[in-house]
Amino acid sequence: MTFAERMLRIDRRIIFLVIGLCTLVPLLFPVGLPIKISSEVRGVYDYIEGLPEGSVFLLSLDFDPASKPELYPQAISILRHAFKKNLRVVAMTLWVSGTGLADQILTQTAKEAGKENGKDYVFLGWSPGGSAVILNMGQDLYNAFPADYGGKATKGLPVLAGVQNLRDVTYAVSLGAGNPGVEAWYVFGKDKYKFELGGGCTGVIAPGLYPLLRSGQINGLIGGLRGAAEYETLIGQKGKAVAGMDAQSATHLAIIVLVAICNIFYFSLRRQQRRQDGMGS
Amino acid sequence: MIFLRRQLPLLITMITGLVMAAQYYVPHPASEQLLTTVTKWLQIIGGFALVLGITSLFHVHAAKIRRKEAGWAYSLVLYVGMLGTVIVGLWNNGKESIDGALTSFGWVYSYTLVPLQGTMFAILAFFIASAAYRSFRARSREAAVLLVAAVIVMMGRVPLGEYILPLSGDLSSWILNVLNASVRRAILIGVSLGAVALSFKIIFGVERSYLGGGKE
Repeated sequence: MTFAERMLRIDRRIIFLVIGLCTLVPLLFPVGLPIKISSEVRGVYDYIEGLPEGSVFLLSLDFDPASKPELYPQAISILRHAFKKNLRVVAMTLWVSGTGLADQILTQTAKEAGKENGKDYVFLGWSPGGSAVILNMGQDLYNAFPADYGGKATKGLPVLAGVQNLRDVTYAVSLGAGNPGVEAWYVFGKDKYKFELGGGCTGVIAPGLYPLLRSGQINGLIGGLRGAAEYETLIGQKGKAVAGMDAQSATHLAIIVLVAICNIFYFSLRRQQRRQDGMGS
Repeated sequence: MIFLRRQLPLLITMITGLVMAAQYYVPHPASEQLLTTVTKWLQIIGGFALVLGITSLFHVHAAKIRRKEAGWAYSLVLYVGMLGTVIVGLWNNGKESIDGALTSFGWVYSYTLVPLQGTMFAILAFFIASAAYRSFRARSREAAVLLVAAVIVMMGRVPLGEYILPLSGDLSSWILNVLNASVRRAILIGVSLGAVALSFKIIFGVERSYLGGGKE
């Protein structure tokens, strides 16, 4: 076996080690490279920034712990921003396995901002039905969620004063890791009940949501850890996403170098084989 | 009996399909009330679907354990995990925390489900790197184009990439906003037209496979 062949069949544990080191070292020794803000993320930020105090802001945390590394920092940043702007926050989830996580995120950020449950924010929790929940909320929010996550009746909560259905929501953001997520909120929510919608998602599904962004069906998109880092930079509270960007930079670069090495050996092997074939004939 | 098994479901599907399609264009309070009722029913059916799914999962894994099929121990772990979580959940009335303190159900969620799902997600990065090394080769002109685009997007999505190659950020943005969005839109339009056509076929009883037993 030639050197090129050996390199092409390299033990995958070596690759795992390289990726592991590229993740760990920048986390231990952060560099803090500057993060450029994209227009997609600025779309969400600017809209929240422009909302008057007391506007109804709906945040749907449509993800589970598997997407926590990317969507948790996004949720924290958006909530910090909304609380700073004194918006009335209505949070919920369409993913049953994400309920606990959503509750933790909301409780943590509300406590940090000194906000009161029921008065400044409410967590509606989860209700079965997926996209049907959006339609039901669009018709009557109290029918879809008669009680909040803590079991308190939603009717009469000061945070929901004047809110009957989704038509009374000023701005909604869905942080989605799949279906139901941003697309479902557009099709069953914004399109029918006419409120402004923004999105956040994992890096993997972000390219799939660009058509919605380009056509104005969503007014902004926070994509993956990079999007979260941009939002943290915009609100001036650097957190887990900014810290993770160094590690992501290193792993991206490592993958690029690995792919380049693989191609160099692949072409050298192909040239070798062609030369041998030429000599043989 | 044939009427109850075939004609009646077809009739219900047709009437419901046509009424709900028309409902979208009728803003009358009665029409809105109909939508409210139907969506409430959809939510109830969604709840039943969950029960059906869990029951089916239990059956599949029970059969695996009974027959001692390969990997039956994993099915046992699933049983223990699922039943254990259900019992703990019922014990705590489904509450994960009370006055900020974690309940045992919350403990199971925070210290079992969250780390396990996080680990699965993290492992993905290692496998992607390994798979990229083994298969991302410029074997043809098309593969080379894909390779170059992928490298630019990967560079443009991280600060270090933009620092090394300042143009990569704008290029990556252009690839995502123009090339990717237009292709995705074409696919979406195709899929949506297909969905509309299928919906019509179901409403008018042409497509009957959802009744079981395939087309007749």
